[in-house]
Amino acid sequence: MSKKIPYLILAPGLILLVFFLLIPLVSVIWPTFYNGTLSFDSYISFFKDTYNFGIFIRTIRVSIIVTVMCIILGVPTAYFIAGTSAKWRGLLMALTLFPMLTNSVIRSFAWINLLGQNGVVNKLLASIGIISKPLTLLYTEFSIIIGSIYLFLPILIITLVGVMENINPEIMEAAETLGASRIKAFIKVVLPLSIPGIIVGSILVFTGTLTAYTTPQLLGGNRNMMLSTFLYQNAMTLGNWEDASVIALIMIVTTLIVMKGFNLIANRIDKRGEQDA
Amino acid sequence: MSFVDLKNIRVSYDGKNNILKELNLSMEKGELISLLGPSGCGKTTTLRVIAGLIEPNDGTFTVGDSNLTKVPVHKRNFGMVFQSYALFPHLTVRENVGFGLKLRKEKKEVIEKKVQAILEATDLSHYAERYPKQLSGGQRQRVALARALVIEPQLLLLDEPLSNLDAKLRISMRIEIKRIQRKLGITTVFVTHDQEECFSISDKVAVMNNGVIEQYDSPEEIYKNPKTEFVARFIGFENFFALTKQDTHTYTTSDGTLIETVHSAGRQQTTGTIRPDDILLSAHDQEIPSNSLAGTIRVRTFLGKSYQYEVETSIGKLLVNDVQVPGYQVGDKVFVVIPKEKLILV
Repeated sequence: MSKKIPYLILAPGLILLVFFLLIPLVSVIWPTFYNGTLSFDSYISFFKDTYNFGIFIRTIRVSIIVTVMCIILGVPTAYFIAGTSAKWRGLLMALTLFPMLTNSVIRSFAWINLLGQNGVVNKLLASIGIISKPLTLLYTEFSIIIGSIYLFLPILIITLVGVMENINPEIMEAAETLGASRIKAFIKVVLPLSIPGIIVGSILVFTGTLTAYTTPQLLGGNRNMMLSTFLYQNAMTLGNWEDASVIALIMIVTTLIVMKGFNLIANRIDKRGEQDA
Repeated sequence: MSFVDLKNIRVSYDGKNNILKELNLSMEKGELISLLGPSGCGKTTTLRVIAGLIEPNDGTFTVGDSNLTKVPVHKRNFGMVFQSYALFPHLTVRENVGFGLKLRKEKKEVIEKKVQAILEATDLSHYAERYPKQLSGGQRQRVALARALVIEPQLLLLDEPLSNLDAKLRISMRIEIKRIQRKLGITTVFVTHDQEECFSISDKVAVMNNGVIEQYDSPEEIYKNPKTEFVARFIGFENFFALTKQDTHTYTTSDGTLIETVHSAGRQQTTGTIRPDDILLSAHDQEIPSNSLAGTIRVRTFLGKSYQYEVETSIGKLLVNDVQVPGYQVGDKVFVVIPKEKLILV
C-alpha cells in the first residue's frame, strides 16, 4: 500500500506532461515517419538538400563557437569573481546577471545599433582611420555569434562561480608551495576541479544557442538561417508543417546527443569518487 | 647569522592594524621550532610569510645566504602541510605525492622511485591508487606530509597539521613527524595552539601574542621560567599577585607577607606567579617566617587525580591543586605555602 503512494504523488505531474507535452510532440513527429508506410525518407531528403544541410551545419558551428568562446571568456571571469570577498562577489554577480533582466529582443536591437553600417563600431573604426568604408558586421554569422555570446555568457559564469567558490583556496596555495606558478596551479588544479561546472554551463550555452530564435532572427537575417529560424519560416511563413516537424526532431536529437557527449567527457575526466570509501 | 632569519617583519592588511609587529625569529639548520599561541596571535600569518603566501609590509626573510623576501611561493622550495591538508581531490595518492616532482620536470623513473620510497616511508603504498575522498583523516594527513617531503624541501612548514585528528592518532602522528624530521634533518616550523603537542615535539618554542613573540626558548625553559605574564598564563600559571622588592631575593606581598624567591627581578614592583599544582596546603601554621599565607577554602572541585581549591587569602583568591585525601571542605581554614623555587617573577 505505502509503496503506491509515491506514484500517486507523481500522477498529477505525469498526466499533465503526457497530455500537454508528450501527446502533442508525438502527434507532430509521428507523421514525419509514417505516411502510409514507416520510412525515414523525409529526414534523408532533408539532409540531401545542400541548403538545408548548410543550415544544419551552420547551427552546429555557431553553437560550438559560442560555447567555446563562453568557456574561454567565462572561466577566468568566474574564477576572479569566486575569489573576491562576499561583498564584491554579490555585486559582481548582480552585474553579471543584469543583462538577463532585459528582454532578448531589446538586447538584440542594442547589437543592431552597435554593428550596423552606421553603427557605433563602424563609426569608431572609421574615425580612427582603420577602415575607409564600413564593414559588414550585421546580418552575418559573426553577429549571431556575438549576440549569442552576450546572451549566454552570464549563464556559464553563474554556473561556474557556484562550483569554483567551493574549491578550497588552500588547494591552490598547496600547488604553489609545490612549485606551480599561479597560472600552472590554475590549469592543473582549479580547471580540472571546475569540469563539472564547465560541463553543465556548456550544455546550457550549447542548447541555448541551438534553440535560440530571437537573436539569429534579428542579427542573422534571412541569409544566415539557423535551425530555429528555419523551423519558424517553414511553419509560419510557408505553412510547411511537415518540414518544420522534421527540423524540430533534428533539433531535439542533436541536443540529446550533445548532452550525452558532454556527460561522457565529464565522466572520463572526473574520475574521483567513482568508488567511495 | 642563523640558517633561517626573520628580521623586523611587519604585516598589515589594512595599513592601520598590524597583524605582525617587528617580528624577529631565527632558526638553526635541522631544528624543529613551534609557533605557539591562541588563535589570532599571528602564528599562522608568520608561517604564511615564511611560505611566501603573504608578502610582509616591512622586514626581511633569509634562508642560508639568500634573501627570499620577494621570492614567489613556487620558487622557494618549501614543503607545507595545511590544516585542511589541501590534497588535490582529482588526483590519486600517488599523483598527489608526485605533483611537485612532476613540476620540477624530473625523469619519470626518478619520480616513480622517489614517490614509491616516500609512500613506503609513510606507510601509504597500499593506498597509492586511491583518491583523497576514500582515505581516513590520518591517511590524508600522511599524504599531505609525504607530498611536502618528497620535493626535499629546504624548510618544512606545518600549519596545525594534527588539529583535525582524534586524540590517540594525534599522539602517534606527532611522534611520527618528529621521527621523520630527525631522520631527514629537515628544518621545520610547526604551528599549534596545543601546548602539550608543542612541548613534546619542539627543539624551541616561540610563544606568540598579538603579533609579537613573547618568549623564544626551549620547551623546558618556557615551562619552568615564563618571562611574561601572558606566557605564564598560556602555559598553566593561574595565580598572579603583586610583589614589592625588599632585597635581591626577598619580596613582600600587598599585605606585607614576606616572600622569598630563588629568582630576582630588576624592577621594584613585580608580579609573582605559581601553578596551582605547586602550591602546598596545610591545616596548621608551618611557623616559618616567610612564603606562608592564611586562607579559607571557598570552592572545591574534584579533578580526578586531585582536588582543586579556590582559597581566599589576604592577597586575593589562589587556585591550589592538592592530592590529599579526604582533603578540605568549603569553609576550612588553611595555610597556603608558596615554595620559593616554584615562584616565578614575570
